Amino acid sequence: MSKKREDQGTNLLYKLIGEARGYDDVIVMGRGDPDFDTPAHIVAAAKEAMIHHHADYSPPAGLPALREAIAERVKRVNNIDVDPASEVVVTNGGQEALFLMVLATVGAGDEMIVPEPNYTTYADSLDFAGATKVEVQTWPQEDFRADPALVRAAVTERTRALLLVSPNNPCASVISPGDMRELLDIAIERDLMILSDEIYDLFVYDDFAHTSPAALPGGKERTLTLNALSKSYSMTGWRLGWITGPADLMARVTELKAATTGGASVISQYAGIAALTGPQEPVEMMAAAYRRRRRLVLDALDEMGMKYGLPQGGQFVFADIAFTGLDSAEVAQRMLTEQHVLAYPGSAFSKDRKDYLRMTFLQPEDKLIEGLERMKVAMQGIMAGR
Amino acid sequence: MSSASKAYLLNWHKANRALNTPLPAQTMRHSADFSADEAISPLDERIIASASEAMEAGQTHYVDVPGIAPLRAALADFLNSACGSAFGASNIIVTAGVQEARFLTIQKIGELFDSIGVPAVAHPGVQKALGVRKRHVVSLPVDDARGYLPTIDGIAAAVADGCRLLYLESPSRLSGAAYAADEVAAICQIVNEHDAAVIWDQGLSPWVAGDYSSLTALESTPTRIAVLSDGWPGMGLSSWFLGAIAAPEEWVAPMQSQKQIMAICTATASQYAALEASQLYSESQAGRLAQLGQQREALLQAAAAADLEVVAGGALNIVALRASAGGEAALEKLRGVGADGADFGAPDTIRLTISAATASALA
Repeated sequence: MSKKREDQGTNLLYKLIGEARGYDDVIVMGRGDPDFDTPAHIVAAAKEAMIHHHADYSPPAGLPALREAIAERVKRVNNIDVDPASEVVVTNGGQEALFLMVLATVGAGDEMIVPEPNYTTYADSLDFAGATKVEVQTWPQEDFRADPALVRAAVTERTRALLLVSPNNPCASVISPGDMRELLDIAIERDLMILSDEIYDLFVYDDFAHTSPAALPGGKERTLTLNALSKSYSMTGWRLGWITGPADLMARVTELKAATTGGASVISQYAGIAALTGPQEPVEMMAAAYRRRRRLVLDALDEMGMKYGLPQGGQFVFADIAFTGLDSAEVAQRMLTEQHVLAYPGSAFSKDRKDYLRMTFLQPEDKLIEGLERMKVAMQGIMAGR
Repeated sequence: MSSASKAYLLNWHKANRALNTPLPAQTMRHSADFSADEAISPLDERIIASASEAMEAGQTHYVDVPGIAPLRAALADFLNSACGSAFGASNIIVTAGVQEARFLTIQKIGELFDSIGVPAVAHPGVQKALGVRKRHVVSLPVDDARGYLPTIDGIAAAVADGCRLLYLESPSRLSGAAYAADEVAAICQIVNEHDAAVIWDQGLSPWVAGDYSSLTALESTPTRIAVLSDGWPGMGLSSWFLGAIAAPEEWVAPMQSQKQIMAICTATASQYAALEASQLYSESQAGRLAQLGQQREALLQAAAAADLEVVAGGALNIVALRASAGGEAALEKLRGVGADGADFGAPDTIRLTISAATASALA
């Protein structure tokens, strides 16, 4: 691996995570791992499964009961009708879902349109597939809106798919219903597949609303939709996600799933059934906490005079640090080394976002407050040393 | 969707025969299913207690990409004590089952070489992993009489012809046949003479009664070798999807990076369960092998009575059968309950999982 690759994207983030582990008092505002423990009834279901179902066979697409629960969930939350037997594949988290969706839709020489900035793993997965990421820029003054006109202009003869991440990671924008319709129309006109990453669909703020392209007329047959339990049920360690989509393409996704990891742990799958079919109050509690924390972070950034695109959804804020005059990788490194606060540099998400930091609000409020205080000290130090 | 794009995608995937190779179940679907890689095993209550304790203590979050540190150390110890290798924890990546181990090694180590030599008869997961992103594959001829292991001459010819990466199963995932010590030494010599590298799947070695010769345990063991392991088979964790790769650290880094891209980490509960299994394994393995030995003997008698030929093999968890004269009908009947050898590359063979019920089902 070249030095250049070591200091970019996913590798850069993991380098920072590794260093953060070395600080006992670190405040993590980087990684997207909710601070809440998995709700007790889900853990209890997993324990029951160990006793009664430890050796159950799971086909690569997942346990039928879990696929049914997923089908019910995507109908209830996303208004998408899917057949659990043929249109759902269970994955090892959203990350595997993302990887499989990319492998299913593009190959060497193909192009995928990706509104920027975006989650690092999409670039990694496209690299693996030998496909090209075609970036469409977004701007903070428009709250990082993915402009359909720019998307349309980016389509070429080699474009196979359009990636839509809403709420977006890292910039927390939400695609409006009108823009979503327009983006789908482009996909229909230009015969593109849509990859829809909806992992933060339960966390949308103020008056913004989540829209699934597969729920719109003409959308389902050309859309692969991913989701996971990691963020919504605080189940990152269980590695459980899913893809839904049209049956013919999902048959290919199933083969890819079998080829890469074979299946998902049955214990995690039983935990997933409990999450989706059990009480949903824990999710509402976490969503309420994220609303409060978001406000707290935004107020602190306002106080520091930092600009940001308004987080319309998700669990983070993408803040402008151009005033420091430094590359975000350097700012993140100094915040970590000097103040033991981990935030992610925007340059890890896009070469054009060296002026941004991504900060999650996945810490208890007292820790968040302390983290923001330390961040303020770090910024003052940076400014004083300029 | 009437789309040309979608039709193109579907045709593209459907034409990929390697990717569409059927994969055997990792564990028996029910008591009359003998097609699986592993029989159903009981789960020790201490494993349940340990995994539960970890979950209740909040071990429900992401963990390190290559696995939790004590499990990596336990896997290194497991490989070293069983096969005489010298791996450390930093050489280990915990994988989401052995198929992820196949995929990571074939794809990421494969990137470093122009071609990969693969047995003409191997686990279908090998073809599937190769099918995701095509590599130049050199087919290694196998010896039917040696349980479909690649011939030493075939390996030598492939390496001499420029193939510098070999994928070898010992024991064979179809027959359970393992290379003898002199054969392993011969492979080692070929590899070292040509500065070649090896992905060595020894996942079935815990099922071999008696001595097992690993390519990792020689004085002149190749420096570039990655080992695939099933973890602690027989401990009731096959449906929890836990496997491992042991490899030089310079190979661990790119595979770890790819694992992060694919799945971030292996399920936390599976890792804590496996950690406990590592402590208990030695208590029960000898008894498990003795029981399987008896079940295998009964199965061999039933096979002989049905005019079925047993393919040479040393692992006690599976048996591969071919039809002797007059045994075609019996073999045909097994197609519905066993793993079809055609998926491994041996169409005239059926593989059966050895369990308490296999012999009586055959009879």
